[in-house]
Amino acid sequence: MHEPEFHDLSDDSDYAASQQQGLGGSVFGSDPGMTSGFNEREGSEVVYSKDNVTIHPTQYGSERISGRLRLVKQGPSLFMTWVPYKPSPDGADFLGNNSNSALSEKDRNLYTITPVPLSDVRSVRRHTPTLGWQYMIVVLSSGLAFPPLYFYSGGLREFLATLKQHVHIVRSADDANVFLVNDFQDPLQRSLSSLELPRALSVVNGVSSKDLASSVPSFENSERLNGRTYYVNPNTSEYSRRHKHKSHDPARDISLQVLEKFSLVTKFARDTTSHIFRESQSNSFDSYERKQQKQSPELIPAISTPSEEQSHSNDGVVEPDPLEFDKINLVWGNPRQPPLSSDEWAALLDSEGRIMDSNALRKRIFYGGVEFNLRKEVWKFLLGYHAYESTDAEREYLASIKKSEYETIKSQWQSISPAQAKRFTKFRERKGLIEKDVVRTDRSISYFDGDDNPKVALLHDILLTYSFYNFDLGYCQGMSDLLSPILFVMEDESEAFWCFVSLMERLGPNFNRDQNGMHSQLFALSKLVELLDAPLHNYLRQADCLNYFFCFRWILIQFKREFEYEKIMRLWEVLWTHYLSEHFHLYICVAILKKYRKKIMGEQMDFDTLLKFINELSGRIDLDGIIRDAEALCICAGENGAACIPPGTPPSMPIETDTGLYSSQPEDL
Amino acid sequence: MSYAYLFKYIIIGDTGVGKSCLLLQFTDKRFQPVHDLTIGVEFGARMITIDNKPIKLQIWDTAGQESFRSITRSYYRGAAGALLVYDITRRETFNHLASWLEDARQHANANMTIMLIGNKCDLAHRRAVSTEEGEQFAKEHGLIFMEASAKTAQNVEEAFISTAATIYKKIQDGVFDVSNESYGIKVGYGGIPGPSGGRDGSSAQAGGCCS
Ligand SMILES: Nc1nc2c(ncn2[C@@H]2O[C@H](COP(=O)(O)OP(=O)(O)O)[C@@H](O)[C@H]2O)c(=O)[nH]1
Ligand SMILES: [Mg+2]
Repeated sequence: MHEPEFHDLSDDSDYAASQQQGLGGSVFGSDPGMTSGFNEREGSEVVYSKDNVTIHPTQYGSERISGRLRLVKQGPSLFMTWVPYKPSPDGADFLGNNSNSALSEKDRNLYTITPVPLSDVRSVRRHTPTLGWQYMIVVLSSGLAFPPLYFYSGGLREFLATLKQHVHIVRSADDANVFLVNDFQDPLQRSLSSLELPRALSVVNGVSSKDLASSVPSFENSERLNGRTYYVNPNTSEYSRRHKHKSHDPARDISLQVLEKFSLVTKFARDTTSHIFRESQSNSFDSYERKQQKQSPELIPAISTPSEEQSHSNDGVVEPDPLEFDKINLVWGNPRQPPLSSDEWAALLDSEGRIMDSNALRKRIFYGGVEFNLRKEVWKFLLGYHAYESTDAEREYLASIKKSEYETIKSQWQSISPAQAKRFTKFRERKGLIEKDVVRTDRSISYFDGDDNPKVALLHDILLTYSFYNFDLGYCQGMSDLLSPILFVMEDESEAFWCFVSLMERLGPNFNRDQNGMHSQLFALSKLVELLDAPLHNYLRQADCLNYFFCFRWILIQFKREFEYEKIMRLWEVLWTHYLSEHFHLYICVAILKKYRKKIMGEQMDFDTLLKFINELSGRIDLDGIIRDAEALCICAGENGAACIPPGTPPSMPIETDTGLYSSQPEDL
Repeated sequence: MSYAYLFKYIIIGDTGVGKSCLLLQFTDKRFQPVHDLTIGVEFGARMITIDNKPIKLQIWDTAGQESFRSITRSYYRGAAGALLVYDITRRETFNHLASWLEDARQHANANMTIMLIGNKCDLAHRRAVSTEEGEQFAKEHGLIFMEASAKTAQNVEEAFISTAATIYKKIQDGVFDVSNESYGIKVGYGGIPGPSGGRDGSSAQAGGCCS
C-alpha cells in the first residue's frame, strides 16, 4: 500500500507566522472567570484556550453551539477539550449572538469533548476555505472524528502551533492540510497504534475504562465534567436493550451508538458547510445580494484575511469546491490482516474438530481472509454447508451422505434418454443453455482452459444437477460465474455442488425470473447512498439513475467480473462471514461509488456514461482499500444503514410463501 | 480522435447467437470463440468513415437471457442503431425475433435503424433458417437484412457500416434533430458547425479507420 511521506512543519507558512508572533505559550490562561465548568486540578496547565469555537449540529448555519477549546498540559501529557457554553437565560451566547434555543441542554452535552489525550489523536485536518470560517477536524486513532470545530474568532493557526510545541506532529505529504499526530515512521507500529473500537469508545464518550483512568489521573474524579458528557450506560441504554439479542458485547453496542451519533453530527456538519458555501458562492456572483447579506453577519461567513478578500475582489472568484468535503474521511476501516493460517485455524478447533468461537473465526476472516489451502475446509462453514459446532466425525459422515444424495439427483437427468429428451423441450433448452455457458466461463483461468477440459464438464454437470435440485429456479446466466471459484477451491464435484447449493440459498433470488432479489438489493443500495452520501444521491436522482442498474453486474454475481480470480475469492470469504452485516456487499458498492463520486458528479455523467464508466472500473479497484472503506461506512451507518435494507433482501433468507421460494419460470430463451 | 458524429448502437438477440463475437470481430478484427458470456452489458467502439466524415460507433453488447430483459430494456434509451441477431443454425433464435422487435419498438426511439443479422452463416451445413425466411421477416418489419459470420468476418464490416450509412442518410434527410441526444447521435468536431464540440473526448478504442 502507498505510504505517505512526511514533511516537517517548518515549510508551513501558517506555522512559521505563528512562531514569529511567539504564539502558543502566550495564549493560555485567558480570563479564568470565563471557564465553563472546567475543573482544573493542581498541576494542570492550560496552554491554549480559545473562545467561540463552534460546531454546527444541524444543516442550518444559524444552529450552532459555541464553546471553548483548550489544550491542557498535565505532567508529560497534553489533553484537548471543548466545552460548550451554558446557554444564558436570554438565549444569547458569548458574543451576544442568538444561539439556537431549540438545541436542548442534552444536545449540547452530547457534543462536549471531554479531555482527550493527544496520544489518542491521529490527525488534525485544517480547512481554510477562501470564504468562510476556518475549521478543523480532529480524527482519533480509532478512526472516530469529532465534528468540525469552526474558529469563529480565529485561532486555528495558534492551535496547531501550540500542538507542535508539545507533541510530535508532522504534515502528511498526501495533503498539506493534514497534520499527523504521534505518527510513527514504522508502518507496523502505526497500524498497531490504530486501535480497536472499544478503546476508542472510552475516549469519545468519557466512559472511564481502566486504560483512561490510569492515563488521565487528573480527570478521573472530575464529576462535573463527566456530568456534562454524553454517556451511554451499556446496561440501560435504549440502544443496547434493543439490540441485546444481536450482540452480546456491550462495548460494541456503545461504540456503535457513539459512532452513529458522530457520523450523524458530521453529516450535518458537512451539509452545513456546503450550505454555507452555496451562500458564499452566490454572494460572490451577486454583489447586491452580498451587500444585503453583509448586514446580517451571522449568516455569512467572515472573510478571514485581507489578502483573501483581495483575491476575491480581483475577479479571481475562487469557487470553493463543494466536493471538497468528500475528503472528510471520518472513520476508516481497520488495516487488513494477513489471511488466516493453518496454525491459527488449528487453534480454533477443539479436540473433536468443533469451532469453539465461530464469532472470532468470522471476525478473523472478515479482517484477513483465509490462506488458499484452508479455503476448501473453511468455506464450507462460511457458506453454511457445515455447522460450526459439528465435529470432524459428523462432517465426514455428512459428506458421504451428501455424496450419494448428489449422485441420486444427478442420475435424474442422466437417465433421460435421447428419445425422452426429444419430448422434453424444457430439459433440452436448459441443458443447451448450460452447455453454451460453461464453455464461456473463466476459460482464461488455467484450471478451466484448453479443449475438452474435464473441469468444464464438471461445471456443466453441477449446474444441470442444480437445476433439477431446484427446478423452479432452474439455470440462469451468472450462476456459472458463482460456481467456478467454488469448484476451483473444492475440487470435488459433490462438495462443490453442496457449497453451491448453500450459496444459492442466499443468492438464489438474484436469478429469479421477476428479478425481485435484484430489485430489492438495488433499492436498498439507493437507500444506503441516500443515507451515506446525500449529494451523490441527489445527483443520481437528477440524472435519472436511481434505478442503480449500473451496479447490476456487481450485485448479480458478487463482483465476480470486477476483480481478478484470486481477489474475488478473498472478497467472497469476507462477504460470507456476515460479520458486520449480511449485506456488506452493498456497503462495498457504496464505497466504490463514493470513491468515484467526484468524477461522477464533476463530469456530470448521464446514465449511459455512468454505466460505461462503472463497467470499465473492472480490474481497477483496489480490493483492500475498498473493504476498509466499506467497513467504515457500515459502522457509520449502523442501525440506520440496516434500516435501509428491507427484510428478505438477499443474501438474507427469502421470506417463504406457500407457493414456494421461486416464482415458477416459463422457459428461458 | 475527433469525430463528426457519434452513434450509439445496441446489439440484441438470444443468448449464444454470437453478439459478442460480432462486436469483437468488428472492433478487433478477430474471432475469439473462448470468451466470457455477457452479464449485463459490455461496450466496444470503433471509428468508421462515411462520406469522408469520421464517425465513432459506440456499441452496447447486451446479455440475451430472458431473465435480464427488464434490465436490457434500459439500454435502448438513446440508441441510434440496433443489430438484431439470430443464429441460422438454431430455429428458436429466429422464432424469438418478434418479441425482441417488440421490445425495441417499445423502448427505443421510433427512428432507430434496425439491422437484422442471421449469424453463423459459415455453418451452412447446419442451417435451420433459410436466407429467404430472414429476408421475408426483414421486409415485413422494415429492417435491413444480412447474413453474416463472426467467425469468417463475412459481412460483419458491412453490417455495422451500412447501418451507420442509413443513420447518416437520415441525418442528411433531416429525420433527426441531431442536437437532441435522445436519438443516439452526438455531434462532434467537424460535424454540424456550431458551439457543441465532441463531448466524448476519448479516442477510439480499437480498430482503425476503414471505409
Ligand atoms: N461457427 C460460428 N460460431 C460462432 C459465430 N459467432 C459466434 N459463434 C460461437 O457462438 C458462441 C456464442 O457466441 P457469443 O458471441 O458469446 O454469443 P452472445 O451470447 O450472443 O454474445 C461462441 O462460443 C462462439 O464460438 C460464427 O459466426 N460462427
Ligand atoms: Mg455476449
